[in-house]
Amino acid sequence: MANFIEIKDVYKIYSEGLESEVRALDGVSLTIDRGEFVAIVGQSGSGKSTMMNVLGCLDVPTRGTYLLDGTDVGTLSDSQLSHIRNRQIGFIFQSYNLLAGLNLLENVELPLTYTNMDSIDRKEKAMQALEKVGLAERAKSFPKQLSGGQQQRVAIARAIADAPPVIMADEPTGALDSRTGKEILAFLQQLNKEGSTVILITHDNGIAATAKRIVRLSDGKIIEDKQQEVDWQ
Amino acid sequence: MKILQSVKLAWRSINSKKARSVLTVLSIFIGIASVMAIVSVMEGMKDFTRKQYAAMGSNKITVSIYSWAYDEEGNNLSKDYYPELQSFCAAFPQYIEGVTPNGRSNATVVYGTKNSDNMEYQYDENWNQTSGPPTVYYGSELFSAVNNLELASGRDLCYMDQQTYNQVIVIGSKTAEIFFGKLNPIGKVMQLNGQNFTVVGTYAPRASNDQQAFSLDCIMVIPYTTRRVLGEQVITEYYIKAKDSDSINQVITRVGGFLKGIVPTNNGGYNVYSESSWQESENEYMTMIGLVLGGIAAISLLVGGIGIMNIMLVTVTERTREIGIRRAVGATRKDIILQFLIEAGMICGLGGILGIVVGSGLSFVLGKLIFKTVIYPLPWVTLSAFALSVALGMIFGCYPAIKASRLQPVEALRAE
Repeated sequence: MANFIEIKDVYKIYSEGLESEVRALDGVSLTIDRGEFVAIVGQSGSGKSTMMNVLGCLDVPTRGTYLLDGTDVGTLSDSQLSHIRNRQIGFIFQSYNLLAGLNLLENVELPLTYTNMDSIDRKEKAMQALEKVGLAERAKSFPKQLSGGQQQRVAIARAIADAPPVIMADEPTGALDSRTGKEILAFLQQLNKEGSTVILITHDNGIAATAKRIVRLSDGKIIEDKQQEVDWQ
Repeated sequence: MKILQSVKLAWRSINSKKARSVLTVLSIFIGIASVMAIVSVMEGMKDFTRKQYAAMGSNKITVSIYSWAYDEEGNNLSKDYYPELQSFCAAFPQYIEGVTPNGRSNATVVYGTKNSDNMEYQYDENWNQTSGPPTVYYGSELFSAVNNLELASGRDLCYMDQQTYNQVIVIGSKTAEIFFGKLNPIGKVMQLNGQNFTVVGTYAPRASNDQQAFSLDCIMVIPYTTRRVLGEQVITEYYIKAKDSDSINQVITRVGGFLKGIVPTNNGGYNVYSESSWQESENEYMTMIGLVLGGIAAISLLVGGIGIMNIMLVTVTERTREIGIRRAVGATRKDIILQFLIEAGMICGLGGILGIVVGSGLSFVLGKLIFKTVIYPLPWVTLSAFALSVALGMIFGCYPAIKASRLQPVEALRAE
């Protein structure tokens, strides 16, 4: 079976050739299979965010190839990349990134509005996702009326609304207290149990320790890649 | 993403920044309102002149025949072509109703103690004469028909009056009022430059059926054969009344051809034209004024458009993060462009609607003040004003929208 996610010798270099050259990714190769729960760990500046941007098709590498489900992402047009982000990947950000002007339901609906789904199906799917994170009864509330943990749950609902195969979480617990953070992690673990591939980006070794696989980055290079047994409730 | 969804979305973001949206709407509204007012007033003006010409005499063709030659004694050699024209016109009853000489002069008109030399000219705001000395016209029995005058009492001039040099007059309604007050003018004898003329009829007020008509109420009409009373008068102008508007060009061609054969052109010439040809040139003139005014309105629209662009650029900058989020969850560049274009189009559309309302009000007021009539905004003007405003938004929203779509998702997400 072909690898689900495969990057080969990927470089992301800023200001290449200049004195200020920064190698955010410096020849990284990595494969991730379906159903994995990978934590990409590193200090700030280690290149882990760049890694997530590349893996999430938000950014294109300077060099190297990226195969997502067999498709060479490097050859895709901007709108094809948009389509991949829309269908294949659900993003969860540290700062939630909900739209303040939209209510929870509309926020969760957002990825679905960029599909051809009609509005009834859209609402239904969004509502299901909200139910899953336990916020269905607050569908008409606005993000600023919610606590940080609740907002992050809305963000999770948005990420899973269209059931993408990959969930990418960039420091999802970074802005939360440890109890709420655990709650969010539990959600991610639940999603992984249900079959989603989860890629978790974090600087926190404690959080990384809950992942099935840890990929450690430093100075744009992978310095450790290990599988581990986990004990999820 | 579906259009309806985008429209809803655009409305919400417009709604969320009310003060700014209102100000932006205003910047468009001024331009649209002035365009509306200008176009409506221009249309009103065209209508106004059309009515004026219609009142002057419908299907009227003017023939002028002139000579610059003089004999040894200094007399102008212009010749009276009425008999020729009359017999020519009589040969085409299918096109022509009749022909009349048209000439006028001022004269001393006396009845009892009333003397035109002691009267003062008075005009209304449309420069129609409302009172004062009558203008004396001479013509054939068709004078009234050609000039759209209707008889109110007595009889009109007739063929025999001309043949017998009958010194009779038909007077306009105002003139009747001035000289005779409540008396019946029929049969009364007036002095025209000292000669006795008997009033045989009066014309109905011309302005009664159309308040915008040129007045022909302060007039009196005598048979053209008695025009010697007005001094030396060479007829140089004739009116031909065509059967209908379709015959006008036919008549112009035929009469022109006829005159070509009989009028010497070495020292003079002739001219055959209809009021509609005047009207055409008047319309051209009007269009030119319209273009100038339209140019001014276009400048205000341009300013409004730049305002829109400015606001949209600010909006894009402010919403960089939103754009990033949307891009991350799958919005394509096209989706982003569409979103901002629709938003700009919508703001301008709102400005357009407001402009149409105010512009209609403005043309209503201007119509009342200038033309003394109600100008209703024409449907095509209203629709195009609206389309114009939306298009304006789209055009000036293009650059900001494209700018928004060019943002890299990663960088947009990083924005605060």
